[in-house]
Amino acid sequence: MKKNAVPIALEENLAACHVCDRVQDVALHHCQRCGAKVHARKPESIQRCLALLAASIIAYIPANVFPIMEVTQLGDTESSTILSGVASFWRIKAYPIAITIFVASVLIPGLKLLALGVLCATAVGKVEMSPKRANHIYWLTELVGRWSMVDVFVVAILVGLVNFEGIMSITAGPAAVAFAVMVILTMLAAHAFDPKLVWDRMRKEAKV
Amino acid sequence: MQEPSKGWPRAETASEHAACHFCDSLQKVVSLEEGKDAHCSVCGGEMYENRKQSLQRTISFSLSALLLMVLVIIFPFLSLNRSGLKSSMTVWEAATSLWEQGDQMISVATAVFIVFLPSLLILSLLYVTIPLSLGKSLPGMVAIFRVVSMLKPWAMVEVFFLGALVSLLKLVKLADIAIGVGFWAFALLMISMVGALGSVNYFEYWDRIEAVRERMRKETFS
Ligand SMILES: [Zn+2]
Ligand SMILES: [Zn+2]
Repeated sequence: MKKNAVPIALEENLAACHVCDRVQDVALHHCQRCGAKVHARKPESIQRCLALLAASIIAYIPANVFPIMEVTQLGDTESSTILSGVASFWRIKAYPIAITIFVASVLIPGLKLLALGVLCATAVGKVEMSPKRANHIYWLTELVGRWSMVDVFVVAILVGLVNFEGIMSITAGPAAVAFAVMVILTMLAAHAFDPKLVWDRMRKEAKV
Repeated sequence: MQEPSKGWPRAETASEHAACHFCDSLQKVVSLEEGKDAHCSVCGGEMYENRKQSLQRTISFSLSALLLMVLVIIFPFLSLNRSGLKSSMTVWEAATSLWEQGDQMISVATAVFIVFLPSLLILSLLYVTIPLSLGKSLPGMVAIFRVVSMLKPWAMVEVFFLGALVSLLKLVKLADIAIGVGFWAFALLMISMVGALGSVNYFEYWDRIEAVRERMRKETFS
């Protein structure tokens, strides 16, 4: 086996602070620069990521099944889900907006849940993936997560604006809360994951 | 201090190496020219970057963001006119009307992600960056910059703006919409926030904070 030319922080008993990046002895416990706790790896990364992931999946279902808002017009109440909202934009040929909502609200959260699951599986050695690809997937997951909040804000704007007593009003449906919870949980799940674990796994397997 | 165009000041106690965020390999920290970035030699991930005029840009974008945030809260964002009935709303009212309807959770989420966290982020950035640009340190600088790095992903001004565009398209078929001063202020706020946060490279800022604190300590002892 080729001797690794670049030293690995973990093998030198060094760790980069999770807050400020300062590289220091793991035995120091607290970062010399910012005072945060020093860990070589994020503590219980996989367990925490999987737990948050499971909770997000539970929230993902009501977020897509239940109505996200209810429009009351002259006594009639019509409720719409995320998907029916996409469909109504599609019917009036507003394709870019239909695609934007579909991607931000359905596709991105779904793919994000899948991606984090696969990353956890890779880190524990259940799935084979090149660590560089894992880096790219993780980077993307962190980048796009917050955009899924867009539908919650649409509801907030419509509820605040459309309020004509007795004629027309809009209220938030149960999916709006489920949606906000899901986005927050997936962001926390991505944050809990430590991409270094994928590289640790690869190095361990290369040695055996 | 080093000349400003190459690298940034580093403390004597600063660590000689940086560890890659992704693959954990140790790389010697080199001083970069403005506009250049350093990548990991093993996995290619970005490690740090010397962004152009980082401190000045952060300060000017943050100051304009602060002013715009005030305008956003005061002035109407959108107004509706439907058969003689008028309704108008500020960004703040988008959050409060949800509260009145009993949707406290999304009301708080909207207020926090769009008004509170972005404001806190701007003020914290100014608290750290203004003294840094003068070569001074202020008490609590470290704690406040920790807050900045923690809060950054949770400020969702750009996401709200996309939400506003979607809402506009949903509303055109229902009523006449007027775009208010608050809307334009919000668009500029979004640009200022992206500009302010985009000029901050965390690696550089932490190094600068460490260097300034070290210098101040030495000055008090001598
Ligand atoms: Zn630290
Ligand atoms: Zn690397």
